[in-house]
Amino acid sequence: MSTGRVRRAALGYTLLAPSLFGAAAFLLLPMLVVVWLSLQRWDLLGPIRFVGLANWRSVLTDPTFGNSLLVTAGFVGLVVPLQTILGLLAASLLARQLPGSPFFRTVYVLPWICAPLAIAVLWRWLLAPTDGAINTVLGRRVEWLTDPTLALPVVSAVTVWTNVGYVALFFLAGILAIPADIQRAAQLDGATSWQRFRRITLPMLRPTLFFVLVTGVVSAAQVFDTVFALTNGGPRNRTDLVAHRIYAEAFGAAAVGRAAVMAIVVFAILIAATVVQHLFFRRRITYELV
Amino acid sequence: MTIRAKSSTLVVLALLAVIVLLVAAAFVLGRTAEPSGRTLVTVRLWDPRVATAYRKSFADFTGSHPGIEVRVDVVAYSTYFDTLRTDVAGGSADDIFWLNNAYLAGYADSGRLVAITPTPAWEPSVVDQFTRHGTLWAVPQLTDAGIAVYYNADLLAKAGVDPAVLNSVRWSRVDTVDTLRPLLARLTVHGAGRTQWAYNAANDLQGIYLNYIGSAGGTFSEGDRFTFDNPQAAEAFRYLVGLINTDRVAPPASDTNDNGDFSRNQFLQGNMALFQSGTYNLANVAANARFRWGVAMLPIGPVGRVSVTNGIAAAGNAASRHPEAVREVLAWMGGRHGNAYLAEDGAAIPAVLAAQKTYFDYWAARNVDVSPFFDVLGGGRVPAPGGAGFAAGFDAVKPYFDEMFLGRADVGRTLASAQAAANDAAAR
Amino acid sequence: MSWFSRILVYAALTVGALITLTPFALGLLTSFTTPQQFATGSPLGIPNPPTLANYAALHGAGFGRAAVVTALMTAVIVVGQLTFSVLAAYAFARLNFAGRDVLFWIYILTMLVPPSVTVVPLYLMLAEVGLRNTFWALVLPFAFGSPYAIFLLREYFRAIPADLLKAARVDGANTADVLVHVVVPASRPILVTLFLITVVSQWNNFMWPLVITSGSKWRVLTVATAGLQSQYNAQWTLVMAATTVAIVPLIALFIVFQRRVVRSIVVSGLK
Repeated sequence: MSTGRVRRAALGYTLLAPSLFGAAAFLLLPMLVVVWLSLQRWDLLGPIRFVGLANWRSVLTDPTFGNSLLVTAGFVGLVVPLQTILGLLAASLLARQLPGSPFFRTVYVLPWICAPLAIAVLWRWLLAPTDGAINTVLGRRVEWLTDPTLALPVVSAVTVWTNVGYVALFFLAGILAIPADIQRAAQLDGATSWQRFRRITLPMLRPTLFFVLVTGVVSAAQVFDTVFALTNGGPRNRTDLVAHRIYAEAFGAAAVGRAAVMAIVVFAILIAATVVQHLFFRRRITYELV
Repeated sequence: MTIRAKSSTLVVLALLAVIVLLVAAAFVLGRTAEPSGRTLVTVRLWDPRVATAYRKSFADFTGSHPGIEVRVDVVAYSTYFDTLRTDVAGGSADDIFWLNNAYLAGYADSGRLVAITPTPAWEPSVVDQFTRHGTLWAVPQLTDAGIAVYYNADLLAKAGVDPAVLNSVRWSRVDTVDTLRPLLARLTVHGAGRTQWAYNAANDLQGIYLNYIGSAGGTFSEGDRFTFDNPQAAEAFRYLVGLINTDRVAPPASDTNDNGDFSRNQFLQGNMALFQSGTYNLANVAANARFRWGVAMLPIGPVGRVSVTNGIAAAGNAASRHPEAVREVLAWMGGRHGNAYLAEDGAAIPAVLAAQKTYFDYWAARNVDVSPFFDVLGGGRVPAPGGAGFAAGFDAVKPYFDEMFLGRADVGRTLASAQAAANDAAAR
Repeated sequence: MSWFSRILVYAALTVGALITLTPFALGLLTSFTTPQQFATGSPLGIPNPPTLANYAALHGAGFGRAAVVTALMTAVIVVGQLTFSVLAAYAFARLNFAGRDVLFWIYILTMLVPPSVTVVPLYLMLAEVGLRNTFWALVLPFAFGSPYAIFLLREYFRAIPADLLKAARVDGANTADVLVHVVVPASRPILVTLFLITVVSQWNNFMWPLVITSGSKWRVLTVATAGLQSQYNAQWTLVMAATTVAIVPLIALFIVFQRRVVRSIVVSGLK
């Protein structure tokens, strides 16, 4: 009996060994290292020196970091609702399954398949003040990426443009999963299509909505490639999203310890945000009717 | 039963084979072409034209030093120093790499560079720039001489401006003294679609504003601290910002803030009448300008003409695996014979004094008068800034200066906040 | 559905498609335009004559090698991730051993760690062991399995009828046999899903390769594109050729497998 247990354990751990190593070395260990790094001062070239809580004090009172958090919050607040609503809209159009819908569905997902970096470089040309496609069409010189009031909305718009098709797919699957009988019964009862949407489709999409919102927030908060290629932090740091700020601190200003502090703060905020969303939605999800 | 066992083993074996193949491919891809028997020394720099000159120079070197082969790596300037830092830190940097004064301190102070013995054969101002705490940390390679003004003779003729006028033009915030602004206005043509610009006033440290600060009598930095928050520097900045945003004789900052080549490209396309820059663009202009052009002196400021001088040196990587070979290559690079190659197609002014004649001869043979770049050094000089923490400080300054040049921020307040932010960042 | 609302729906769908496709089309056109025409004529003009010179210039800029490096890196990571994730998921799903559930929860927790947190410490760790700017540095952090993949696969594996597995065991199959002949075939949809998702995310990865590699030896396509854009700033014809090269391989893959990809995205989301 016990040899069986030992053998099973041996088998189990053998199978687990590679991924266990991977998770420990490349996910868990870095968490410990980043905490240690937050107490050190290092410019990549010189020696690593212990400085205690100096980095924490420096970062937590740094207006640039506060700005970065605000900018990220603003960005998430722009991107997530927009891409969710537009995705839902696209999905409801696609859900009617008119001939040709698969073609549209394919087209909408194209931006998401491409590297965000490449997409950003493409848009950098489209938005260029001189020789850019958009300004050429408009006939005016608009400084899309260097105007402090326009920069963040523009970067958000590019992100929304990239994600709408992807979000739409999830909603589409959710809509198509709603049993047709319920819709038909409502129709027989005289419900208009808008009433059906509001009272049947939307509530039954809550799990999908929850998924789209949570993953949307987490991935929007981590956007880096787009900022790097479009604005590099933007006019007056107006597009300095946290992932970019961490990179700029570590590899631009060579203040690795401070970057580590920022990373920890961002992690804590993300965890909190995810937990809050979980709690908010737990009471509101309507489970599927069998 | 036997058959099933065989096929699953086959699958596992196939998987292993795939993995082995991929790993082998990775090794093949990773093979560096180490020349057999010879030591390979790598040299990194950012200027492609000078790189061509280096390749000729090093071919000559290998002729007389058959055991050493030298390979040249070009990394674009915009990413040069970011990647250099992480490379040196990671131990994978080239054996020899270019440095400028701005970035010397971090490397020198952390013992990453090979100490060099100075010799009087080298341009003294460059030796000074790369000496830190009494030790010389790199072999002088180039000196930029001073800044001058390239002009498009065809555009000047079209506007009825005699090039000789350029040598006596003055800039000043006092309108009666200022002859530059009216001149620039005559040279600007705002057409439908494309504008012909007069000048390249922009957020350009070496080409533009450091010279203006100097000729206004102000300072930019002193030692390891930024000091540009002073009235004279403010005057210089106000003038430049006015040229861009009020007088519109220079391209909008939104074009030039993030693109250091924008004005140069405008000039080369025949779209800009005056282009203030250094010898580092001379070869480019000579090769690519399809119009008659010449070089005039810098505008005269309230305290006269003051120009930035800058030098570039080649530093030896203290962590190199071939320190002896590196020393030999560095000796070659710092000698008259090796350094003269840089002047052979007029690409740059050698820092080895004896090799500088090649440069003058080259341009004299092409009827280009390079004296404005040198004559200006008779007046005041501003050394290119540097010091510990310069990189971080200058990074912190950029958003402020960008806004200022865009005309969206008050000059005085911007300089004050930028200086505080820069010194703060530099001290971290 | 009424004729009128059909028109409306198609109109809306078409507007969406135009908004999606126009940027790509314009970029593509520009990539075939000569720099001279672009500088002197309208930036939106039809290339006349069209040219491949921009693409040829890319080769000199090292894009050929970048493509090879990217493909190899993606291949290694995909093979590694899928293989090790399958093994781990099987262990969690169908084996019973001490510490199994605790370990699984630890895996779940690691899913929450965002990349921006791990970049800096991973950089330090790999630099310390001398792996900076190597192929292994590109690949190792990702090649050992992914918690997300393990989570998904475990769900699927748990749903496999126990009788199938028992029948196989009775016939004398060992673990390898079970995996190859029962588990994997039964999970084809989810495996295809993971394959496609991993290919897309690794091919498009930017921040990690940017940080851990430098120079031309191990440059991947995304880093090469960014480097080209900063070096040839405002030389849009060249830059657009670069973005096209970066984008086209995955778009081609996508168009070929589009139904599978779409189903994959949906499947992974519903779980």
